[in-house]
Amino acid sequence: MSPDDKAPLRLTFLDLLQCFLRSFFLQAVWNMERYLNYGFAFVLAPALKRLYPVREDRAQALTRHLEYFNTHPYMASFVLGAVLRMEEEKQTLPRPKQKQKEDEINALKVGMMGPIAAMGDNLFWATVRPYCGLLAITLILSQSFAPGTRAWIIPALFLAVFNVAHLGVRGLGFLQGYRQGDQVVLALRKYGFQAAIRGLKLASILLVGVLIVFVNMGELDREVGLFILKLSFFSALVGLFTFALHRKIAPGQLYYAVVLIGLILAYWPELSTPPVLPLEGVK
Amino acid sequence: MEHWIAISLLLGFLSLDATAVGQFMLSRPIAVGALVGLLTGHPEVGLLVGALVELIWIGEVPVGSHLPADLLILAGVATALAGELVQGGAPPEAAMTFAIGTAIPLAILSTELEGLLRRLHVRWAHFAQRMAGSGHFGTFDGVNTFVLLGLFLKGLLTAAASLFIAHLVGKLFRLLPDRAVDGLYYAHWLLLALGCSAAIDLMVEKKTSPFLVLSIVTALTAAFFQIPGVWMVSGALLAGFILTLIYAGKGETA
Repeated sequence: MSPDDKAPLRLTFLDLLQCFLRSFFLQAVWNMERYLNYGFAFVLAPALKRLYPVREDRAQALTRHLEYFNTHPYMASFVLGAVLRMEEEKQTLPRPKQKQKEDEINALKVGMMGPIAAMGDNLFWATVRPYCGLLAITLILSQSFAPGTRAWIIPALFLAVFNVAHLGVRGLGFLQGYRQGDQVVLALRKYGFQAAIRGLKLASILLVGVLIVFVNMGELDREVGLFILKLSFFSALVGLFTFALHRKIAPGQLYYAVVLIGLILAYWPELSTPPVLPLEGVK
Repeated sequence: MEHWIAISLLLGFLSLDATAVGQFMLSRPIAVGALVGLLTGHPEVGLLVGALVELIWIGEVPVGSHLPADLLILAGVATALAGELVQGGAPPEAAMTFAIGTAIPLAILSTELEGLLRRLHVRWAHFAQRMAGSGHFGTFDGVNTFVLLGLFLKGLLTAAASLFIAHLVGKLFRLLPDRAVDGLYYAHWLLLALGCSAAIDLMVEKKTSPFLVLSIVTALTAAFFQIPGVWMVSGALLAGFILTLIYAGKGETA
Protein backbone atom coordinates (compact mmCIF):
# COMPACT_ATOMS: atom_id res chain seq x y z
CA MET A 1 0.00 0.00 0.00
CA SER A 2 1.47 3.34 -0.99
CA PRO A 3 1.21 6.37 1.36
CA ASP A 4 -1.31 7.94 -1.01
CA ASP A 5 -3.85 5.19 -0.35
CA LYS A 6 -4.10 5.91 3.39
CA ALA A 7 -7.05 7.83 4.81
CA PRO A 8 -5.90 11.49 5.11
CA LEU A 9 -4.94 12.59 8.59
CA ARG A 10 -7.25 15.14 10.22
CA LEU A 11 -6.70 17.56 13.08
CA THR A 12 -8.68 16.87 16.23
CA PHE A 13 -10.41 19.49 18.38
CA LEU A 14 -7.63 19.11 20.96
CA ASP A 15 -4.94 19.80 18.34
CA LEU A 16 -6.72 22.99 17.34
CA LEU A 17 -7.20 24.02 20.96
CA GLN A 18 -3.51 23.44 21.65
CA CYS A 19 -2.55 25.54 18.63
CA PHE A 20 -4.95 28.30 19.71
CA LEU A 21 -3.52 28.38 23.22
CA ARG A 22 0.01 28.42 21.82
CA SER A 23 -0.92 31.40 19.64
CA PHE A 24 -0.69 33.54 22.80
CA PHE A 25 3.07 32.84 22.69
CA LEU A 26 3.45 33.86 19.06
CA GLN A 27 5.76 36.76 19.87
CA ALA A 28 7.91 35.14 22.58
CA VAL A 29 11.00 34.63 20.39
CA TRP A 30 10.49 37.92 18.52
CA ASN A 31 13.87 38.39 16.86
CA MET A 32 15.50 41.05 14.75
CA GLU A 33 16.15 38.72 11.81
CA ARG A 34 12.98 36.82 10.93
CA TYR A 35 10.66 38.30 13.56
CA LEU A 36 7.86 35.85 14.40
CA ASN A 37 9.27 32.88 12.50
CA TYR A 38 9.86 30.71 15.55
CA GLY A 39 6.53 31.76 17.05
CA PHE A 40 4.64 30.73 13.95
CA ALA A 41 6.25 27.27 13.84
CA PHE A 42 5.83 26.89 17.62
CA VAL A 43 2.08 27.54 17.32
CA LEU A 44 1.68 25.01 14.51
CA ALA A 45 3.88 22.32 16.14
CA PRO A 46 1.05 20.23 17.73
CA ALA A 47 -0.86 20.19 14.42
CA LEU A 48 2.25 19.23 12.45
CA LYS A 49 2.84 16.41 14.94
CA ARG A 50 -0.59 15.02 14.07
CA LEU A 51 -0.32 15.56 10.32
CA TYR A 52 3.23 14.27 9.83
CA PRO A 53 3.73 11.04 11.74
CA VAL A 54 7.03 10.38 9.96
CA ARG A 55 9.87 12.16 11.75
CA GLU A 56 11.61 13.46 8.61
CA ASP A 57 8.36 14.83 7.14
CA ARG A 58 7.59 16.60 10.40
CA ALA A 59 11.08 18.09 10.56
CA GLN A 60 10.74 19.31 7.00
CA ALA A 61 7.29 20.82 7.66
CA LEU A 62 8.43 22.58 10.83
CA THR A 63 11.49 24.00 9.03
CA ARG A 64 9.23 25.20 6.20
CA HIS A 65 7.33 27.34 8.71
CA LEU A 66 10.49 28.95 10.08
CA GLU A 67 10.69 31.44 7.22
CA TYR A 68 10.39 35.19 7.81
CA PHE A 69 7.02 36.09 9.28
CA ASN A 70 5.88 39.31 10.89
CA THR A 71 2.41 40.61 11.54
CA HIS A 72 0.06 41.86 14.23
CA PRO A 73 -0.15 39.26 17.03
CA TYR A 74 -3.95 39.22 17.29
CA MET A 75 -4.67 39.36 13.57
CA ALA A 76 -2.16 36.56 13.01
CA SER A 77 -4.92 34.15 14.09
CA PHE A 78 -6.53 34.57 10.67
CA VAL A 79 -3.32 33.32 9.01
CA LEU A 80 -2.74 30.60 11.61
CA GLY A 81 -6.26 29.21 11.18
CA ALA A 82 -6.02 29.32 7.39
CA VAL A 83 -2.59 27.64 7.36
CA LEU A 84 -3.88 24.86 9.63
CA ARG A 85 -6.74 24.20 7.22
CA MET A 86 -4.40 24.24 4.22
CA GLU A 87 -1.93 21.89 5.90
CA GLU A 88 -4.84 19.56 6.52
CA GLU A 89 -6.02 19.86 2.92
CA LYS A 90 -2.51 19.08 1.77
CA GLN A 91 -2.87 15.61 3.29
CA THR A 92 -5.79 14.81 0.97
CA LEU A 93 -3.74 15.55 -2.15
CA PRO A 94 -1.61 13.05 -4.03
CA ARG A 95 2.13 13.44 -3.39
CA PRO A 96 2.97 15.30 -6.63
CA LYS A 97 0.44 18.03 -5.85
CA GLN A 98 1.56 18.50 -2.27
CA LYS A 99 4.53 20.62 -3.27
CA GLN A 100 2.20 23.02 -5.03
CA LYS A 101 0.08 23.26 -1.87
CA GLU A 102 3.20 24.09 0.15
CA ASP A 103 3.89 26.96 -2.23
CA GLU A 104 0.31 28.14 -1.80
CA ILE A 105 0.67 28.07 1.98
CA ASN A 106 3.83 30.18 1.79
CA ALA A 107 2.19 32.57 -0.64
CA LEU A 108 -0.77 33.00 1.73
CA LYS A 109 1.54 33.76 4.66
CA VAL A 110 3.59 36.26 2.68
CA GLY A 111 0.55 37.82 1.03
CA MET A 112 -1.53 38.25 4.17
CA MET A 113 0.99 39.31 6.78
CA GLY A 114 1.49 42.86 5.49
CA PRO A 115 -2.14 43.93 5.04
CA ILE A 116 -3.39 42.38 8.28
CA ALA A 117 -0.45 43.88 10.19
CA ALA A 118 -1.40 47.32 8.93
CA MET A 119 -5.02 46.75 9.83
CA GLY A 120 -4.22 45.27 13.23
CA ASP A 121 -1.84 48.09 14.16
CA ASN A 122 -4.40 50.67 13.19
CA LEU A 123 -7.33 48.84 14.80
CA PHE A 124 -5.77 47.78 18.10
CA TRP A 125 -2.70 49.91 18.80
CA ALA A 126 -3.99 53.16 17.30
CA THR A 127 -7.72 52.86 18.00
CA VAL A 128 -9.11 50.27 20.44
CA ARG A 129 -6.34 50.57 23.03
CA PRO A 130 -6.30 54.39 23.06
CA TYR A 131 -10.10 54.34 23.22
CA CYS A 132 -10.11 52.02 26.25
CA GLY A 133 -7.25 54.06 27.74
CA LEU A 134 -9.10 57.35 27.26
CA LEU A 135 -12.22 55.86 28.81
CA ALA A 136 -10.25 54.86 31.91
CA ILE A 137 -8.28 58.13 32.06
CA THR A 138 -11.42 60.24 31.74
CA LEU A 139 -13.10 58.27 34.52
CA ILE A 140 -10.02 58.55 36.76
CA LEU A 141 -9.79 62.33 36.25
CA SER A 142 -13.54 62.90 36.34
CA GLN A 143 -13.41 63.86 40.03
CA SER A 144 -16.18 61.35 40.52
CA PHE A 145 -14.17 58.61 42.15
CA ALA A 146 -13.84 58.98 45.87
CA PRO A 147 -10.30 58.05 46.95
CA GLY A 148 -10.10 54.57 48.40
CA THR A 149 -13.45 53.37 47.20
CA ARG A 150 -13.56 50.84 44.45
CA ALA A 151 -11.17 52.81 42.26
CA TRP A 152 -9.75 49.49 41.02
CA ILE A 153 -12.93 49.12 38.98
CA ILE A 154 -11.54 51.60 36.43
CA PRO A 155 -8.41 49.62 35.45
CA ALA A 156 -10.54 46.46 35.54
CA LEU A 157 -12.97 48.11 33.13
CA PHE A 158 -10.06 49.09 30.86
CA LEU A 159 -8.80 45.50 30.77
CA ALA A 160 -12.27 44.01 30.33
CA VAL A 161 -13.33 46.25 27.42
CA PHE A 162 -10.01 45.85 25.62
CA ASN A 163 -9.83 42.10 26.06
CA VAL A 164 -13.38 41.52 24.84
CA ALA A 165 -12.23 43.02 21.52
CA HIS A 166 -8.82 41.30 21.70
CA LEU A 167 -10.05 37.79 22.47
CA GLY A 168 -13.01 38.24 20.14
CA VAL A 169 -10.74 38.96 17.19
CA ARG A 170 -8.31 36.18 18.11
CA GLY A 171 -11.14 33.65 18.37
CA LEU A 172 -12.91 34.90 15.27
CA GLY A 173 -9.68 34.90 13.26
CA PHE A 174 -8.68 31.41 14.28
CA LEU A 175 -12.13 29.92 13.65
CA GLN A 176 -12.81 31.73 10.39
CA GLY A 177 -9.28 31.06 9.16
CA TYR A 178 -9.68 27.35 9.86
CA ARG A 179 -13.17 27.25 8.35
CA GLN A 180 -12.38 29.13 5.19
CA GLY A 181 -8.75 28.29 4.53
CA ASP A 182 -7.24 30.45 1.80
CA GLN A 183 -10.65 32.10 1.20
CA VAL A 184 -10.33 33.96 4.51
CA VAL A 185 -8.59 36.82 2.67
CA LEU A 186 -11.85 37.63 0.94
CA ALA A 187 -13.84 37.34 4.17
CA LEU A 188 -11.67 39.88 6.03
CA ARG A 189 -13.54 42.84 4.56
CA LYS A 190 -16.86 41.62 5.91
CA TYR A 191 -15.96 42.17 9.54
CA GLY A 192 -16.14 45.95 9.30
CA PHE A 193 -12.76 46.64 10.93
CA GLN A 194 -12.35 49.86 8.97
CA ALA A 195 -15.80 51.04 10.06
CA ALA A 196 -14.96 50.20 13.68
CA ILE A 197 -11.76 52.24 13.40
CA ARG A 198 -13.62 55.30 12.10
CA GLY A 199 -16.37 55.00 14.69
CA LEU A 200 -14.09 54.43 17.68
CA LYS A 201 -11.80 57.29 16.64
CA LEU A 202 -14.79 59.63 16.72
CA ALA A 203 -15.87 58.21 20.08
CA SER A 204 -12.33 58.83 21.39
CA ILE A 205 -12.44 62.43 20.20
CA LEU A 206 -15.61 62.96 22.24
CA LEU A 207 -13.83 61.59 25.31
CA VAL A 208 -10.85 63.92 24.74
CA GLY A 209 -13.26 66.88 24.70
CA VAL A 210 -14.77 65.84 28.02
CA LEU A 211 -11.27 65.25 29.42
CA ILE A 212 -10.11 68.77 28.53
CA VAL A 213 -13.03 70.21 30.51
CA PHE A 214 -12.53 67.80 33.41
CA VAL A 215 -8.94 68.66 34.16
CA ASN A 216 -9.85 72.33 34.54
CA MET A 217 -13.07 71.91 36.47
CA GLY A 218 -11.47 72.56 39.86
CA GLU A 219 -11.57 76.30 39.04
CA LEU A 220 -15.29 76.26 38.29
CA ASP A 221 -16.20 76.00 41.97
CA ARG A 222 -14.08 79.04 42.78
CA GLU A 223 -14.73 81.55 40.05
CA VAL A 224 -16.25 81.26 36.58
CA GLY A 225 -14.00 83.96 35.07
CA LEU A 226 -10.86 82.23 36.32
CA PHE A 227 -12.18 78.94 34.98
CA ILE A 228 -12.64 80.42 31.48
CA LEU A 229 -9.18 82.02 31.64
CA LYS A 230 -7.49 78.79 32.72
CA LEU A 231 -9.38 76.77 30.13
CA SER A 232 -8.32 79.19 27.37
CA PHE A 233 -4.69 79.03 28.50
CA PHE A 234 -4.94 75.24 28.69
CA SER A 235 -6.44 75.02 25.19
CA ALA A 236 -3.68 77.23 23.77
CA LEU A 237 -1.08 74.92 25.34
CA VAL A 238 -2.86 71.87 23.97
CA GLY A 239 -2.67 73.46 20.51
CA LEU A 240 1.03 74.22 20.93
CA PHE A 241 1.90 70.73 22.18
CA THR A 242 -0.18 69.08 19.45
CA PHE A 243 1.86 71.04 16.91
CA ALA A 244 5.10 69.91 18.58
CA LEU A 245 4.00 66.26 18.64
CA HIS A 246 2.90 66.57 15.03
CA ARG A 247 6.46 67.68 14.21
CA LYS A 248 7.61 64.32 15.64
CA ILE A 249 9.09 65.63 18.90
CA ALA A 250 9.03 62.66 21.28
CA PRO A 251 6.64 62.83 24.27
CA GLY A 252 9.57 62.11 26.60
CA GLN A 253 11.42 65.21 25.39
CA LEU A 254 8.30 67.35 25.65
CA TYR A 255 7.84 66.09 29.21
CA TYR A 256 11.03 67.83 30.32
CA ALA A 257 10.15 70.95 28.33
CA VAL A 258 6.83 71.09 30.18
CA VAL A 259 8.50 70.64 33.57
CA LEU A 260 10.79 73.51 32.65
CA ILE A 261 7.78 75.71 31.83
CA GLY A 262 6.31 74.77 35.22
CA LEU A 263 9.51 75.83 36.98
CA ILE A 264 9.63 79.13 35.08
CA LEU A 265 6.02 79.80 36.11
CA ALA A 266 6.90 79.07 39.74
CA TYR A 267 9.77 81.55 39.75
CA TRP A 268 7.61 84.19 38.07
CA PRO A 269 6.87 86.48 41.02
CA GLU A 270 3.53 87.89 39.77
CA LEU A 271 1.93 84.51 39.44
CA SER A 272 -0.21 83.86 42.48
CA THR A 273 -2.75 81.09 42.91
CA PRO A 274 -1.83 77.61 41.79
CA PRO A 275 -4.46 75.72 39.79
CA VAL A 276 -6.70 73.38 41.75
CA LEU A 277 -6.29 69.81 40.65
CA PRO A 278 -8.65 66.95 41.28
CA LEU A 279 -6.32 65.37 43.77
CA GLU A 280 -7.71 66.51 47.09
CA GLY A 281 -7.24 63.88 49.76
CA VAL A 282 -4.76 61.79 47.81
CA LYS A 283 -2.48 59.87 50.10
CA MET B 1 12.33 51.30 49.23
CA GLU B 2 9.63 49.15 50.80
CA HIS B 3 8.29 46.20 48.80
CA TRP B 4 11.35 46.44 46.52
CA ILE B 5 11.44 42.71 45.78
CA ALA B 6 7.68 42.36 45.47
CA ILE B 7 7.40 45.23 42.97
CA SER B 8 10.36 43.88 40.97
CA LEU B 9 8.77 40.44 40.79
CA LEU B 10 5.43 41.94 39.79
CA LEU B 11 7.04 44.06 37.06
CA GLY B 12 9.09 41.05 35.92
CA PHE B 13 5.94 38.99 35.41
CA LEU B 14 4.02 41.84 33.81
CA SER B 15 6.91 42.51 31.41
CA LEU B 16 6.12 39.19 29.73
CA ASP B 17 2.67 40.52 28.84
CA ALA B 18 4.16 43.50 26.99
CA THR B 19 5.22 41.51 23.93
CA ALA B 20 5.96 37.87 24.62
CA VAL B 21 2.83 36.37 26.16
CA GLY B 22 -0.75 37.17 25.28
CA GLN B 23 -0.64 40.97 25.34
CA PHE B 24 -3.67 41.27 27.61
CA MET B 25 -2.60 44.86 28.35
CA LEU B 26 -1.74 44.04 31.96
CA SER B 27 1.57 45.74 31.16
CA ARG B 28 -0.11 49.05 30.22
CA PRO B 29 0.43 52.02 32.58
CA ILE B 30 -3.21 52.05 33.74
CA ALA B 31 -2.99 48.46 34.98
CA VAL B 32 0.63 48.65 36.19
CA GLY B 33 0.05 51.92 38.07
CA ALA B 34 -3.01 50.49 39.80
CA LEU B 35 -1.27 47.22 40.74
CA VAL B 36 1.93 48.83 42.02
CA GLY B 37 -0.22 51.41 43.82
CA LEU B 38 -2.18 48.67 45.56
CA LEU B 39 1.02 46.85 46.48
CA THR B 40 2.66 49.92 48.00
CA GLY B 41 -0.48 51.18 49.73
CA HIS B 42 -0.97 54.21 47.47
CA PRO B 43 -3.78 53.11 45.13
CA GLU B 44 -4.84 56.65 44.14
CA VAL B 45 -1.29 57.69 43.29
CA GLY B 46 -1.03 54.52 41.20
CA LEU B 47 -4.21 55.32 39.30
CA LEU B 48 -3.18 58.92 38.64
CA VAL B 49 0.38 58.09 37.56
CA GLY B 50 -0.98 55.31 35.35
CA ALA B 51 -3.52 57.65 33.79
CA LEU B 52 -0.96 60.40 33.14
CA VAL B 53 1.64 58.04 31.61
CA GLU B 54 -1.00 56.27 29.51
CA LEU B 55 -2.26 59.64 28.26
CA ILE B 56 1.09 61.28 27.40
CA TRP B 57 2.40 58.18 25.60
CA ILE B 58 -0.95 57.23 24.04
CA GLY B 59 0.41 57.82 20.53
CA GLU B 60 3.38 55.44 20.91
CA VAL B 61 2.48 52.58 18.62
CA PRO B 62 4.69 49.54 17.91
CA VAL B 63 4.89 49.29 14.12
CA GLY B 64 7.25 46.87 12.38
CA SER B 65 10.51 46.69 14.29
CA HIS B 66 9.99 49.99 16.16
CA LEU B 67 10.20 49.51 19.91
CA PRO B 68 8.23 52.13 21.84
CA ALA B 69 9.40 53.35 25.27
CA ASP B 70 9.03 50.75 28.01
CA LEU B 71 5.89 52.14 29.62
CA LEU B 72 5.77 49.26 32.10
CA ILE B 73 9.02 50.37 33.75
CA LEU B 74 7.99 54.00 33.36
CA ALA B 75 4.63 53.61 35.11
CA GLY B 76 5.77 50.97 37.62
CA VAL B 77 8.86 52.82 38.81
CA ALA B 78 7.13 56.22 38.76
CA THR B 79 4.25 54.89 40.88
CA ALA B 80 6.60 53.33 43.42
CA LEU B 81 8.69 56.50 43.70
CA ALA B 82 5.68 58.84 43.78
CA GLY B 83 4.14 56.75 46.56
CA GLU B 84 7.37 56.98 48.53
CA LEU B 85 7.56 60.76 48.08
CA VAL B 86 3.90 61.27 49.02
CA GLN B 87 4.50 59.21 52.14
CA GLY B 88 7.38 61.55 52.94
CA GLY B 89 4.98 64.50 52.84
CA ALA B 90 5.44 65.75 49.25
CA PRO B 91 2.40 67.21 47.43
CA PRO B 92 1.05 64.39 45.22
CA GLU B 93 1.15 66.43 41.98
CA ALA B 94 4.78 67.47 42.45
CA ALA B 95 5.73 63.95 43.56
CA MET B 96 4.18 62.43 40.45
CA THR B 97 5.84 64.93 38.09
CA PHE B 98 9.21 64.29 39.72
CA ALA B 99 8.74 60.51 39.72
CA ILE B 100 7.75 60.26 36.05
CA GLY B 101 10.64 62.54 35.09
CA THR B 102 12.99 60.22 36.98
CA ALA B 103 11.57 57.10 35.37
CA ILE B 104 11.76 58.27 31.71
CA PRO B 105 15.52 57.66 31.22
CA LEU B 106 15.20 54.30 33.00
CA ALA B 107 12.39 53.32 30.62
CA ILE B 108 14.55 54.30 27.64
CA LEU B 109 17.41 52.16 28.98
CA SER B 110 15.01 49.25 29.39
CA THR B 111 13.89 49.65 25.77
CA GLU B 112 17.52 49.55 24.62
CA LEU B 113 18.03 46.37 26.61
CA GLU B 114 14.94 44.87 25.00
CA GLY B 115 16.46 45.60 21.56
CA LEU B 116 19.69 43.85 22.56
CA LEU B 117 17.75 40.84 23.78
CA ARG B 118 15.88 40.60 20.51
CA ARG B 119 19.17 40.53 18.65
CA LEU B 120 20.19 37.69 20.94
CA HIS B 121 16.94 35.93 20.06
CA VAL B 122 18.24 35.58 16.49
CA ARG B 123 20.63 32.96 17.86
CA TRP B 124 17.83 31.18 19.66
CA ALA B 125 15.81 31.13 16.42
CA HIS B 126 18.79 29.63 14.55
CA PHE B 127 19.27 27.05 17.27
CA ALA B 128 15.57 26.17 17.11
CA GLN B 129 15.82 25.78 13.34
CA ARG B 130 18.70 23.31 13.74
CA MET B 131 16.69 21.38 16.30
CA ALA B 132 13.63 21.30 14.06
CA GLY B 133 15.68 20.16 11.08
CA SER B 134 17.31 17.34 13.03
CA GLY B 135 14.04 16.16 14.53
CA HIS B 136 14.66 17.22 18.15
CA PHE B 137 11.13 18.49 18.59
CA GLY B 138 11.20 18.57 22.38
CA THR B 139 14.22 20.87 22.37
CA PHE B 140 12.56 22.97 19.66
CA ASP B 141 9.57 23.54 21.96
CA GLY B 142 11.89 24.12 24.92
CA VAL B 143 13.40 27.20 23.27
CA ASN B 144 10.15 29.01 24.00
CA THR B 145 10.44 28.31 27.73
CA PHE B 146 14.10 29.36 27.84
CA VAL B 147 13.44 32.61 26.06
CA LEU B 148 10.49 33.39 28.33
CA LEU B 149 12.69 32.73 31.35
CA GLY B 150 15.29 35.11 29.92
CA LEU B 151 12.67 37.77 29.31
CA PHE B 152 11.34 37.37 32.84
CA LEU B 153 14.81 37.74 34.29
CA LYS B 154 15.44 40.79 32.12
CA GLY B 155 12.16 42.33 33.35
CA LEU B 156 12.91 41.46 36.96
CA LEU B 157 16.49 42.76 36.96
CA THR B 158 15.65 45.90 35.00
CA ALA B 159 12.82 46.65 37.41
CA ALA B 160 14.97 45.98 40.47
CA ALA B 161 17.81 48.17 39.19
CA SER B 162 15.44 50.93 38.04
CA LEU B 163 13.59 50.96 41.37
CA PHE B 164 16.89 51.22 43.21
CA ILE B 165 18.14 54.10 41.05
CA ALA B 166 14.76 55.86 41.33
CA HIS B 167 14.91 55.48 45.11
CA LEU B 168 18.32 57.17 45.18
CA VAL B 169 17.22 59.97 42.84
CA GLY B 170 14.11 60.37 45.00
CA LYS B 171 16.31 61.53 47.88
CA LEU B 172 17.11 64.65 45.85
CA PHE B 173 13.47 65.71 46.08
CA ARG B 174 13.95 66.85 49.68
CA LEU B 175 16.74 69.15 48.58
CA LEU B 176 14.45 71.02 46.18
CA PRO B 177 13.53 74.57 47.25
CA ASP B 178 9.81 75.25 47.84
CA ARG B 179 9.57 77.26 44.65
CA ALA B 180 10.82 74.32 42.58
CA VAL B 181 8.26 72.05 44.23
CA ASP B 182 5.62 74.63 43.27
CA GLY B 183 6.97 74.45 39.72
CA LEU B 184 6.55 70.67 39.65
CA TYR B 185 3.04 71.22 40.97
CA TYR B 186 2.20 73.58 38.07
CA ALA B 187 3.91 71.23 35.66
CA HIS B 188 1.48 68.47 36.56
CA TRP B 189 -1.39 70.54 35.19
CA LEU B 190 0.64 71.39 32.09
CA LEU B 191 1.40 67.70 31.62
CA LEU B 192 -2.30 67.01 31.45
CA ALA B 193 -2.34 69.48 28.52
CA LEU B 194 0.53 67.53 26.93
CA GLY B 195 -1.48 64.33 27.40
CA CYS B 196 -4.58 65.81 25.78
CA SER B 197 -2.35 66.91 22.88
CA ALA B 198 -1.03 63.37 22.49
CA ALA B 199 -4.58 62.05 22.24
CA ILE B 200 -5.55 64.78 19.77
CA ASP B 201 -2.44 64.15 17.68
CA LEU B 202 -3.33 60.47 17.48
CA MET B 203 -7.08 60.75 16.93
CA VAL B 204 -8.13 64.04 15.40
CA GLU B 205 -7.93 64.82 11.69
CA LYS B 206 -8.98 67.98 9.94
CA LYS B 207 -12.40 66.70 9.02
CA THR B 208 -13.13 65.26 12.47
CA SER B 209 -12.00 68.34 14.41
CA PRO B 210 -15.58 69.75 14.65
CA PHE B 211 -16.43 66.75 16.85
CA LEU B 212 -13.75 67.84 19.31
CA VAL B 213 -15.12 71.38 19.49
CA LEU B 214 -18.65 70.04 19.82
CA SER B 215 -17.59 67.75 22.63
CA ILE B 216 -15.79 70.53 24.54
CA VAL B 217 -18.79 72.88 24.21
CA THR B 218 -21.21 70.17 25.35
CA ALA B 219 -19.01 69.20 28.29
CA LEU B 220 -18.64 72.88 29.26
CA THR B 221 -22.41 73.33 29.22
CA ALA B 222 -22.82 70.20 31.31
CA ALA B 223 -20.17 71.46 33.74
CA PHE B 224 -21.99 74.78 34.22
CA PHE B 225 -25.14 72.86 35.08
CA GLN B 226 -23.07 70.81 37.53
CA ILE B 227 -23.82 67.48 35.93
CA PRO B 228 -21.68 64.82 37.64
CA GLY B 229 -18.55 63.62 35.83
CA VAL B 230 -19.68 60.03 35.47
CA TRP B 231 -22.81 61.22 33.66
CA MET B 232 -20.69 63.29 31.28
CA VAL B 233 -18.45 60.31 30.50
CA SER B 234 -21.55 58.15 30.03
CA GLY B 235 -23.02 60.77 27.68
CA ALA B 236 -19.81 60.87 25.64
CA LEU B 237 -19.78 57.06 25.53
CA LEU B 238 -23.38 56.91 24.36
CA ALA B 239 -22.78 59.54 21.68
CA GLY B 240 -19.64 57.70 20.63
CA PHE B 241 -21.55 54.44 20.46
CA ILE B 242 -24.22 55.98 18.25
CA LEU B 243 -21.54 57.49 15.99
CA THR B 244 -19.81 54.09 15.77
CA LEU B 245 -23.10 52.46 14.78
CA ILE B 246 -23.69 55.10 12.11
CA TYR B 247 -20.21 54.60 10.70
CA ALA B 248 -20.37 50.82 10.98
CA GLY B 249 -23.57 50.94 8.90
CA LYS B 250 -21.82 53.06 6.30
CA GLY B 251 -18.86 50.69 6.24
CA GLU B 252 -20.99 47.70 5.33
CA THR B 253 -22.72 49.36 2.42
CA ALA B 254 -19.50 50.86 1.08
